[in-house]
Amino acid sequence: MFEKLESALEIGSGLGASYVELRGESGFIEYIQMDDGRVSALTQRLEQGVAVRVLADGAWGFVTTSDLNGLDNAVKDAYSMARAAAITRREPIVLAETKAHEDVLDFDVKRDPRHVPIEEKLQYMQDMTKEIRDFDSRITAVTVKIRTASGKKYLMTSDGSRIQTDVVLVWSYPWVTGKDGTRLSAARYEDASTKSGWEYLEKVATPEVIGLEAAKRVKLQLEGIPAKGGSFPCVLGPRVIGVLAHEALGHLAEADLTVQSSFNGKVGEVVAAEGVSMTDNGVDEGNLGTSKYDDEASLASRVEIIKDSVLTELMTNREYAAKIGQRVTGNARAESYLHPPIIRMRNTLFERGDYNPDEMFEGIEFGYYCADFRGGQAQMNASFQVGIQEAYEIVNGELGKPVTDLSISGIATDSLFKIEGVANEDFPFELGRCGKGQEAFVAAGGPNIRFLKGGITFGGSS
Amino acid sequence: MIEEKTLLDLCEYIVKAGKEKGAEHIEVHAASESEVESDVEMGQISQVSKKNLSEIAIRLFIGKRMGSAFTNIPTQDAANEALDLAISAAKATTEDEDWSGLPSPADEYPVIEGLWQDSVVDSDSGEVVGLAGKALSLSVKADPDLIPGFGGSAAIGFSAAYANSNGVAHSDKGTFALVVLGGIAPTDTGMTPMVFAYDIARDMNVDVEGTVDDVASTIQICKNSVKGNSGKHTIIMHPLAYGQVMNFTLIQSIRGDNVARGKSKIGDKLGEKIASEKITVVDDGLHPRGVSSSSADDEGVPRRRTPIIEKGVLRSFLWDTYWANKMGVKSTGNAKRNMRQGLVDISPSNIVVEPGEREIEDIIKGTKHGYYIRGVQGAHSSNPESGDFSIVGNPAILIENGKMVGAVHGLMVAGNVYDLLNQVDEIAKTPHYLQSIIGPEIVFKDVSLIAKE
Repeated sequence: MFEKLESALEIGSGLGASYVELRGESGFIEYIQMDDGRVSALTQRLEQGVAVRVLADGAWGFVTTSDLNGLDNAVKDAYSMARAAAITRREPIVLAETKAHEDVLDFDVKRDPRHVPIEEKLQYMQDMTKEIRDFDSRITAVTVKIRTASGKKYLMTSDGSRIQTDVVLVWSYPWVTGKDGTRLSAARYEDASTKSGWEYLEKVATPEVIGLEAAKRVKLQLEGIPAKGGSFPCVLGPRVIGVLAHEALGHLAEADLTVQSSFNGKVGEVVAAEGVSMTDNGVDEGNLGTSKYDDEASLASRVEIIKDSVLTELMTNREYAAKIGQRVTGNARAESYLHPPIIRMRNTLFERGDYNPDEMFEGIEFGYYCADFRGGQAQMNASFQVGIQEAYEIVNGELGKPVTDLSISGIATDSLFKIEGVANEDFPFELGRCGKGQEAFVAAGGPNIRFLKGGITFGGSS
Repeated sequence: MIEEKTLLDLCEYIVKAGKEKGAEHIEVHAASESEVESDVEMGQISQVSKKNLSEIAIRLFIGKRMGSAFTNIPTQDAANEALDLAISAAKATTEDEDWSGLPSPADEYPVIEGLWQDSVVDSDSGEVVGLAGKALSLSVKADPDLIPGFGGSAAIGFSAAYANSNGVAHSDKGTFALVVLGGIAPTDTGMTPMVFAYDIARDMNVDVEGTVDDVASTIQICKNSVKGNSGKHTIIMHPLAYGQVMNFTLIQSIRGDNVARGKSKIGDKLGEKIASEKITVVDDGLHPRGVSSSSADDEGVPRRRTPIIEKGVLRSFLWDTYWANKMGVKSTGNAKRNMRQGLVDISPSNIVVEPGEREIEDIIKGTKHGYYIRGVQGAHSSNPESGDFSIVGNPAILIENGKMVGAVHGLMVAGNVYDLLNQVDEIAKTPHYLQSIIGPEIVFKDVSLIAKE
């Protein structure tokens, strides 16, 4: 692959492009869906293609192609696309300087998903379906989806970087429906690894573990009482506080979005209550959003977005690092050769605090504990929304009844000041996907965090 | 882009080759697309992209065992490699007792005029850039505070073909041009929400002026921040907003697969009143201005017009071939194939909400207190089974004494879609032509709102 990329790279440089980036991919990708035990999709594919990105005259041109023998033309096309964009620009795009890297990254995959028999994969899905069905007789429908990938990615830039890396994915996702009389409900769960092979689904995300996580939430939904609407004191658990870190703060701290969000111009200012720190850690070993390099060949890093309540750093790529005069944080990521890299989060978290974990609910007469989410979305006026699929009332300092679906919202720039306590405890990460025009695998987490009334609005219907 | 006839030849070749390799039944769906697109970031065009993509999805059966495969390389060699993968998948999988056959040839296909325009595929990158450039210069003129934070333009040509071992052979082609604009503006305390608008046309005559005007006039109002009130209020929803809510609740419940699997709350309500008599909703795969209009769905079954709700009464669900066969009904031409995943799903074509009598301006003038909700956050977190939703209206604009006065930040709307459908009070006159929905604004009364304190 590198030989083909190299000759195309030379053509791009010869045309006068200031930067040429070629990202080749080749590999095996698989999708299987099982609905109530019936295989409704079972697709294996071998896919290869190259993403060509050229910076010329201060604008980007991008071409994606699956024709590896037509890369010379793809580079020429990308160059002419860049020139078409360039004539309209008031100021040219420039890239921050970075060190070039040459590297070969091999993952220690015990069981390459490409070589795991289909029968074994279907057995995993059947086992999960059974696990879920057996959990509660009111469970009426079960869909299980898995995705796997195994291949290689080749990144080459005109700055001299040349990185070859293994690509691996195993992903498991059940969606469960429950029915009690006329009452219908649903819940989902998801787990994934971008570092391990099939052994991850055998040992960590097993049918038992993942099935139980989804099934127990449907049961809670069927037994829950409606939530109230309004603002209440609350505690958000690791899975929900992680999504809040991602949706409410993370997106606003992606430099391409910051410049148009409520965080604009606030670097160096206090943006949160005392003791609050939030990080996007791209070098957390083994985590879902971690990689050594990003898709511009920059080293990934730990980005201290909020440090001791001060907005400290934004996530950047080379273009935005130059634009805002900050370091390159290595957050340029692309879903596949079909897309150009853009600024994405990796593993986003609230750092642990100093609040006694045993006192999180203490003194709350009435409020909510939110344990798990389903989806979330950010907007530029700092408004965030997180759908909640597992929550409980807090009554007189004690965990109370489960409540049915609701969502929470707030204005991040206000809500952060209403944080009353961040637990001093370890926490698990929630593993999932984020959509920003293209998909990225991301992790999010944090310790239990307690909010004062006025911080979080509950969209209950009662 | 590959000509549709060439694609169809390839599909028919793969069907034949698949049978020779041992497939008893086989279908092939191929698509090809060429696209030139410009992207706007922070008021300038940052990137122009060119994509030439091919997708070939194969699904075959040995007995009642199904296997599928995909390739992005439109050659006979690549197809043969994919066929081998699909056959080994079919041999390894379990039987599906309920599978009873692929679609049969149709008597005739509907003809929809105007889906293909040479001007789109003949356009060059300069013309595409020109559309976005015009949107940017008009934005600056409309309001110096308006920042075109996001947007772009595109010209797309596509072809598609389908063939199966029952003798179905069908091909199609179409074009689109589009312009998109997402605008924001600083306020005293922060930022307005991002306000989106777009226009899609089959030819290059996209309405750039109207798109910019829509964003600029909304931003003008959103620059003023106001407080909202909790309680039961009248809301007017733009199709960008209710389209999202419906997509993740009602639409899921009219999918035949969900009805058959007991996942639909209205699965047993055909012929019953489930909504206000003021609302009529149709799935119209033949609408001349519909983005999803075509002569056939992704299984080569003719598209049609299917009434979903007629004056509040539930009239039909949507079906593909598999679920229609299983339930003893006919496909409504609503099969949608995820090419890379090999999954055939049931999906609406163009959801059309029938218009009412008064223009939206007159409805707003007659509203004493209410909220105009132009977009929502979090519709995808709704519970499709129960129909419960809890979302943030954003942008949400307060209406007082017939005037839109400013943006409310953090206005939550919580409820159940089947209650909401009964709260329809009025439907405006002029539809918006959007990607998956064609409809005017809808007025809902007594909707529970929770305002940020």
